[in-house]
Amino acid sequence: MEALLTATASDYSPQMVALNKPEKSDEAGWIARARKSDATAFESLYRMHIDKVYGLCLRMTGNVAEAEDCAQEAFIQVWNKLDRFRGDSAFATWLHRIAVNTVLGRIRKSKREQDRIKEATASATSPVSIADQGELRDLSEAVDRLPRGARHVFVLHAVYGYSHDEAGDMLGIASGTSKAQLHRARRLLAQQLKKQGFEV
Amino acid sequence: MKRDDELIAAASTLATEISPDRDLWPAIADAIAQPKRSRWTPMLAQAAAVILLVGASSSLTYVAVKDNVRVVEIVPAGLVFEQASFGSRYALGMEYQEAHGDLAAQLDDELARLSPESREEVELNLAMIRGAIAQINAALEKEPDNALLQDLLLKTYHEELALMQRVGGLTQHVMSRRDI
Repeated sequence: MEALLTATASDYSPQMVALNKPEKSDEAGWIARARKSDATAFESLYRMHIDKVYGLCLRMTGNVAEAEDCAQEAFIQVWNKLDRFRGDSAFATWLHRIAVNTVLGRIRKSKREQDRIKEATASATSPVSIADQGELRDLSEAVDRLPRGARHVFVLHAVYGYSHDEAGDMLGIASGTSKAQLHRARRLLAQQLKKQGFEV
Repeated sequence: MKRDDELIAAASTLATEISPDRDLWPAIADAIAQPKRSRWTPMLAQAAAVILLVGASSSLTYVAVKDNVRVVEIVPAGLVFEQASFGSRYALGMEYQEAHGDLAAQLDDELARLSPESREEVELNLAMIRGAIAQINAALEKEPDNALLQDLLLKTYHEELALMQRVGGLTQHVMSRRDI
């Protein structure tokens, strides 16, 4: 656990980083052009943000196919709603909010979530953990085995850095509920990691 | 508590950016190549859906007068309408109103001859159409010159009439079967 807790972002697998990403400084221009139905500009937005959106979807769903569907659906929704983006928040935050809504909407509609939980429990290696290396992989897999509510809060708050207010807003729960879910997630993670022999 | 903080710190080093195994853009590009979703309100979309639902079997002829210019829309068979007041820009024929009145008066008798299941289905469809008419009328109060709404209203009245005619045909069919 000590090593796990001292792992850094340098353990993050470099091959997972998309190459030749568009420059962030051009984002406002692409948004303006995409609003005028410029698909090329929208593709630049996609290239800039897809890895984070897909990562978020993958960590929330724990299922590659589902994450791909969610990411695609989120970008299609963004295209359709672009004229409603007023710049009150960062484009990435707005995009992530749509991605989270897409994940939640699909979960509500689908029973695949139950299947996913069974698969995650049965599977030795979670598809999410391939993005992480070393002992972080154990943490990643432990996160993936968390119950849905706790996992969603943990991913948004602890992994993606959203505040409890933001995470609660995205998930449609109160900030206090988000805090309670995080507490639950910590407790369950500690139990899981202890079982795996980490010093917790 | 310290350990908890360390756990969160460790979690914050997990990868947030993960490249999908395949390029998801082509499917997105295909999807966005379609025209953007219309800005129809759910109410209008619902009204349009009702029209599509029951519209296929219509066999009416009506005359609409738009902006005092006589526009003739011909669908196979039936009734020809003369001008009558309808909305701010449209006028429907008196014969439409008479036909509507006659059919409405006969409707209860016709429905009574149907099986409970058929009657329920017809009443449900009629309720949907009349709900759509009410919604479109409400929208027209806000936008009386909206040509799309006027057209929708005209067509929805048309479909109501057509459905009532079909009920008559259906009961005759039922009767002939019984006669055999």
